[in-house]
Amino acid sequence: MELKKFLNFSLIGVIGSILLILSEFFSWFSEHNLIELYVITTDVAIEDSFLFLFPLISGIICLVASCLVIYKFKLKIKSVIISFVGLGFLIIFFIDYISQEINFLLNAGVGVYLGIAGFLLNLISLINLLITIER
Amino acid sequence: MGVLKIDKKEIDVNNSRKQDIESSFYYALSHEIRRKIIKLIGDNEYTSFTNLKKELKVSTGTIYHHLDTLSELIEKQANKKYYLTELGIYAYNSLKDNIETMTSTDSEFKSPILKKLTHITLKRFIVFDKKDKKYSILLSISIIIAGTILCGLNEFYAFLFFFMDFNHRELETIIEFLIRISFILNFIILFFIIEGITRIFYKKKESSMNFFISFAIILFPLIFYLSIHLIFKFTNLVGISIFNFIDKIFMVFFQVWSLWLLSYSLSVNKGLKIERSLIISLLLHYGGFTIILFFLV
Repeated sequence: MELKKFLNFSLIGVIGSILLILSEFFSWFSEHNLIELYVITTDVAIEDSFLFLFPLISGIICLVASCLVIYKFKLKIKSVIISFVGLGFLIIFFIDYISQEINFLLNAGVGVYLGIAGFLLNLISLINLLITIER
Repeated sequence: MGVLKIDKKEIDVNNSRKQDIESSFYYALSHEIRRKIIKLIGDNEYTSFTNLKKELKVSTGTIYHHLDTLSELIEKQANKKYYLTELGIYAYNSLKDNIETMTSTDSEFKSPILKKLTHITLKRFIVFDKKDKKYSILLSISIIIAGTILCGLNEFYAFLFFFMDFNHRELETIIEFLIRISFILNFIILFFIIEGITRIFYKKKESSMNFFISFAIILFPLIFYLSIHLIFKFTNLVGISIFNFIDKIFMVFFQVWSLWLLSYSLSVNKGLKIERSLIISLLLHYGGFTIILFFLV
């Protein structure tokens, strides 16, 4: 019963995390997706090459956190804290990357929308989880 | 004069009635079996005598005795079932609330990782007694001074739990000064935002002074981050991709540690449930991010 009750909220988090992982494989502001950008920037030794992996890292961490709640609801607070870490990476990516590409915001690719949707779904899932516990 | 006498009498009667209700409320909650009866009825909306006997596993006489004592909190209706009165519902809610707060806080703070994090941050300075108060104040002042110096050396300005680079060559003197003391300003703004949220949304006005004194300790993990970044900066490691990556991992880790401390401090100083404290941290952190993004766009 407990699992059924909270499965929907957790599923929002899982879907959000999958969207974040998927966003890594779509273009954000250029023709290349983030994985390709990571390979290119690593080859030319640009200092922030790892930044392009942040949505993927964030998605994986949030996915682990969402699965943790599905596995055992008692681990809710740990799951929230792990999600904090995951979303922290995404926030840094947003701030660093979007500020660089601010002029191209109107020509944003699918990756941007997937990334923002994933971020919002994870946030809604977290707030829902915490509010549900309160009742 | 006659009217005044009647009014006085009425007030006395009202006061003694209030005291009677208060006494019966606390007396009713003082016994384990009576608390169980209230919880049984509250959980199921109503209950029968047979069910009470089955669940409580005590003699019929004992149950009748406790039901009599609970006369202000429960009532027997025509269908011979027991229901909670208005006061009973209040008692049930307060019992449930307290138990949830105690159990959730206890079990969550038992986690080994979280325990270690709070140990490193010296829990006794967040929840301090009279003896430790002066040490807490000293520690808080040291953290604020260290944060301000480290922010200046890193050429950062603080905004909530974030740090941004600033170019001081293009700024006016007064703005540059404000940016130099941004760690202190940020500390004050953060405190007032959180105090405001807890007062407006959760009606928690208690322990504001203690919360203020221990508030700088919440920013303690960020001092670690600023120190690490300074080391990277002076050793010219910031320009190297892998060290940039490590620097960002540290930033996230120390931010989350700070957020956890904030939640912990709200829980113990303001008496908020850990879930509510986490909601405040969540809103503050991501609200801050939205503001940054808004300014960037």
